[in-house]
Amino acid sequence: MNWFAQNISTAIGKKLLMAVTGFGFVGFILMHLAGNLSFYFGKDAFLKYVETLHTLDPIIVVVELVLLALAVIHVSTGTILFFQNRRARTTRYAVNKTAGGRTIGSRTMPYTGFLILLFVILHLSQFHFIDHAVQTPWDAAVDTFNNGLFALIYMAAVILVGIHIRHGFWSLFQTLGLNNEKYMPLIQTIGIVIAVAAAVGFFFVPVYIRAVI
Amino acid sequence: MTLESKIPAGPLQDKWDRHRFELKLVNPANKKKFNIIVVGTGLAGASAAATLAELGYNVKNFCIQDSPRRAHSIAAQGGINAAKNYANDGDSIWRLFYDTVKGGDFRAREANVYRLAQLSVNIIDQCVAQGVPFAREYGGLLDNRSFGGAQVSRTFYAKGQTGQQLLLGAYSSLMRQVNAGKVEILPRREMLDVVLVDGKARGIVVRNLVTGELESHSAHAVVLATGGYGNAYFLSTNAMSSNVTAAYRCYKKGAHFANPCFTQIHPTCIPVHGTYQSKLTLMSESLRNDGRVWVPKEPGDNRPPGQIPESERDYYLERKYPSFGNLVPRDVASRNAKEQCDMGKGVGETGLAVYLDFADAIARDGRDVIAGKYGNLFEMYEKITGEDPYQTPMKIYPAVHYTMGGLWVDYNLMTTIDGLFALGEANFSDHGANRLGASALMQGLADGYFIIPYTIGGYLAGTKLPEVDASAPEFAESRSQIQSQVDKLLSVSGKRTVADFHRTLGNILWDYCGIAKEEESLKKAKQMIAELRAEFWENVTVPGDAADFNQALENAGRVADFMEFGELMVTDALERKESCGCHFNTAYQTEDHEALRDDDNYCHVSVWQYTGADSDPVLHTEPLEFENVELTQRSYK
Amino acid sequence: MSTQTIDLTLKVWRQHKNNPRGSLETYPAKGISTDMSFLEMLDVVNEQLTAEGIEPIAFDHDCREGICGMCGAVVNGRAHGHMPETTLCQLHMRHFKNGDTIVIEPWRARAFPVIKDLVVDRNALDKIIQAGGYISINAGGPQDGNAIPVPRDNAEKAFNAAACIGCGACVAACPNASAMLFAGAKISHLALLPQGRPEAKKRALSMVRAMDTLGFGNCSNEAECEAECPKGISIREIARMNREFIKAALS
Ligand SMILES: Cc1cc2nc3c(=O)[nH]c(=O)nc-3n(C[C@H](O)[C@H](O)[C@H](O)COP(=O)(O)OP(=O)(O)OC[C@H]3O[C@@H](n4cnc5c(N)ncnc54)[C@H](O)[C@@H]3O)c2cc1C
Ligand code: HEM
Ligand code: HEM
Ligand code: SF4
Ligand code: FES
Repeated sequence: MNWFAQNISTAIGKKLLMAVTGFGFVGFILMHLAGNLSFYFGKDAFLKYVETLHTLDPIIVVVELVLLALAVIHVSTGTILFFQNRRARTTRYAVNKTAGGRTIGSRTMPYTGFLILLFVILHLSQFHFIDHAVQTPWDAAVDTFNNGLFALIYMAAVILVGIHIRHGFWSLFQTLGLNNEKYMPLIQTIGIVIAVAAAVGFFFVPVYIRAVI
Repeated sequence: MTLESKIPAGPLQDKWDRHRFELKLVNPANKKKFNIIVVGTGLAGASAAATLAELGYNVKNFCIQDSPRRAHSIAAQGGINAAKNYANDGDSIWRLFYDTVKGGDFRAREANVYRLAQLSVNIIDQCVAQGVPFAREYGGLLDNRSFGGAQVSRTFYAKGQTGQQLLLGAYSSLMRQVNAGKVEILPRREMLDVVLVDGKARGIVVRNLVTGELESHSAHAVVLATGGYGNAYFLSTNAMSSNVTAAYRCYKKGAHFANPCFTQIHPTCIPVHGTYQSKLTLMSESLRNDGRVWVPKEPGDNRPPGQIPESERDYYLERKYPSFGNLVPRDVASRNAKEQCDMGKGVGETGLAVYLDFADAIARDGRDVIAGKYGNLFEMYEKITGEDPYQTPMKIYPAVHYTMGGLWVDYNLMTTIDGLFALGEANFSDHGANRLGASALMQGLADGYFIIPYTIGGYLAGTKLPEVDASAPEFAESRSQIQSQVDKLLSVSGKRTVADFHRTLGNILWDYCGIAKEEESLKKAKQMIAELRAEFWENVTVPGDAADFNQALENAGRVADFMEFGELMVTDALERKESCGCHFNTAYQTEDHEALRDDDNYCHVSVWQYTGADSDPVLHTEPLEFENVELTQRSYK
Repeated sequence: MSTQTIDLTLKVWRQHKNNPRGSLETYPAKGISTDMSFLEMLDVVNEQLTAEGIEPIAFDHDCREGICGMCGAVVNGRAHGHMPETTLCQLHMRHFKNGDTIVIEPWRARAFPVIKDLVVDRNALDKIIQAGGYISINAGGPQDGNAIPVPRDNAEKAFNAAACIGCGACVAACPNASAMLFAGAKISHLALLPQGRPEAKKRALSMVRAMDTLGFGNCSNEAECEAECPKGISIREIARMNREFIKAALS
């Protein structure tokens, strides 16, 4: 186990943790998005989907635990990296311009990440840690998005998720060493598609819910 | 004193083998008891330091730059020769030997050159094994090209960055030894003196360029690999820190200096464009394969090149040398460019340039073909000059490039000071009066990887060397001498900056001791340098203080040495009353304006002994004997 | 391209014994020829400063032809200035305009402490190489250079990676002061050649660890290094290093 600790704590090791957990998140987001699309087919369709999902309960518990673990790793490693990286440059530049390498996404990873974390906590308190006997997920959505402020928070959050994934997706392949001239453009494109799909797909759920109620 | 070249007896081919057998060996277990100082981390220094450490010696390795990887060897572009005959075009050790001796206009030692040609083969193997990414053919084997007028393809290369890749190879071996604890790297140190104890080199004094502290380092032997002194001319293709200081201070301590006036001037450099200019950039001479050199026929014609009709252009190389045309050797091309400019036909704002025109080549082969061959050179040219060589002809002019002269060494690469060895461009050894393209890298690595590791063993095993450490009085004495020079430099507080003096010195040497020399002007130059030197010590201004990172002070010390050394160059040029290779005295030329040697009187190495600040140096000569080649006269008509 | 002269205002980082925390100082640079290189411009300013009794600006430089990697400063927020694939010594003043203000700062990274003014200590880069950036062979009798063919494509890729001049601009430009491009270039160069394979595993592990202990930051794939590298080294070399590292760690 020593070799593992030694290697995982290196610059590349920590990045690998980010990449693997980030990859897991992207997978979750895609599934979550797919599920949430059923919102757009109305209450009945959505609840039917939730019901079917519940038949998988034991698996879901596992998934939840895995997600939790990923989150702990992703967030704590991200935090360590953030502070280490700040420390690596003790004096800042008086003038600092980009040479064109960075993007909005890459610049803001820790910040979008942190905001996403806050959002997820809020989100879980509104959707997950509720009494499901009293409130169906549909009710939870209706209750939440009824409030214009929450609707706006959700809409803003999913844009942040899109931005985080826009950089995160190709970046994780780079981290895993999968960058070559042939495939990178494709990976970049897929990343953008996922980022846009997630942002747009989630964005209109609050809009839709507010429209139907 | 007599100069003992220690050339082994026997047939040429067997000399090195025989010598290696006869050299005493240091017992492997004893090697770790010897400390060796290597000054310089260029190809010669880095390869020597790494190899000596591999053998088990403890090595301290010094350089001026912040990292050993930045030594000036990094800038070599073209390639490195080796008699591998991979191209199957008739090359052999003997041919490389012959070409080098002939190229040097018969002013180098046969035995040394033959050994160099022999070792050239091992160098390539060594470098490949180190991971040097030489150019390769599609089949995966090493590619060769022909270079510098050679008739065989024996030059190995890595794009236009051969020196860089070879140096990084040597540097990586060096870093491996640092990791193994066998080499200590001391960067940002400038060697200012060699310290002799009982007549033997036992250490050096260096200035720590960060703190200004003078440090003493003792050892059992000192290896100098400090490069060439082309910067005496102020403008040259050398790096800014290239200097004569290390070698010159050894000269002052008793290491004799050989052929100081043998300077190679490269014909294709980007011309000077202003007084602020700090260095000259080399453009590979391969450009002359397709470019045509010309000037306007009328002196003072300053129309843009495009407006000068064919009939008013003088393609002077093609006119004067119909069979070689634009491909005449470096010295011939350089001399002719200067001649045209002296006649007032030079072009550009300064009038010190000639055109190198690719219009015909582009029309013949198409832009793509030319771009394929020279694209990166054209880009470099455009980056520096802001002109596009696809549109307007390049402007080129000769520039100081390499110094064949250096510390005199015997066959073991030992100077006239026992225990002080000189390698690479810092010694005078293998190139005679003119170095062939792609041969300096070869020599530096041969010296470092394959010669010094043996010969230093012979010295150490055969010499009584009592323990000496840096507390010996000789070190203190040397430090106080250096300190007083440093203090003096800082206290003059005159009006002219160091760079200004350096520029003036450079102009004198370039005008009077450059491409073409004349007795009268040499005498004048000697006088001028002496005066400049006197003014320097009265009117130089060196800001800052001694106990600090102080680049002005560093330069001041180097320029002070260049001035003294400049006089020695002129003295040597005056003494050699013949023309040979790059040394061209207009009084000695053939009808075709070729260098006219005087083999009866000057077939020797001129070796100068320092006798004091105010007395003339004493000349010794080492006669050169040619048993294996016939002395011939070059002709490029 | 005709020569012009321009007037500039320099704001230069000055830091030395007597000013240990450092500060930006303003100097005029008048009558600068557009044919000068950036370093020649500094030479001229230094001559003026010397004449005025001000200590000249310390800056590192040597070859002045873009190959030794000694020069470098951050000019108006850009490592080696704003021209692509250009070292500071090869940056020419024709790329500036009359009246420009130019802010010149040293490489900034915890691993590169300032020695004086624009001069920094880049010893850490040598230390990374010492950790394994070599092939362990002694001078002596290696086999013939042509004994192991190297596919031309690999030789070329290895060359491209080996073109790194060790200037440290990648570290200076990286928002995290990471040395991944530098280390990636060396690991890739050697990993691509058959001669480098026997030690590939050890090399990747120990060079990466060295990078950490020397105080460099971590890569977050911002690609600023690639955009500033004067030799056009690609972040694909970082990916290759990651691959080598993963392979090594897992086997
Ligand atoms: C632009 C250019 C292109 C060239 N192209 C080719 C080519 O294609 N093929 C070829 O064969 N040759 C070429 N040459 C020539 C060749 O590069 C040099 O002759 C050779 O590299 C010299 O190597 P060296 O090891 O002797 O010295 P250098 O590489 O000059 O190293 C000198 C070392 O000594 C150190 N040093 C110097 N003085 C001191 C001091 N006082 N104290 C401490 N350390 C000191 C320096 O820091 C440095 O480490 C070229 C030269 C130039 C200028
Ligand atoms: C939906 C949730 C999230 C997804 C899909 C996600 C995805 C990713 C991905 C794919 C990466 C790229 C990994 C790499 O470059 O190798 C990444 C990086 C990062 N994530 Fe997240 N992440 C999420 C949430 C978070 C949260 C909650 C934080 C928290 C604080 C965070 C902080 C970061 C940081 C700082 C990085 C950059 C690490 C670096 O490159 O140095 N992320 N994320
Ligand atoms: C408009 C947007 C969204 C809606 C309507 C929505 C809706 C839901 C619903 C209905 C659940 C199920 C609650 C449960 O049964 O436990 C849920 C769970 C969850 N959502 Fe969202 N979600 C949205 C956006 C997001 C985003 C952007 C993220 C992540 C960044 C996210 C992360 C989660 C997580 C982690 C869970 C818990 C999963 C689990 O317990 O298995 N959601 N969401
Ligand atoms: S990778 Fe590029 S920027 Fe970094 S040190 Fe090498 S040459 Fe300089
Ligand atoms: S001075 Fe050598 S790269 Fe700029």
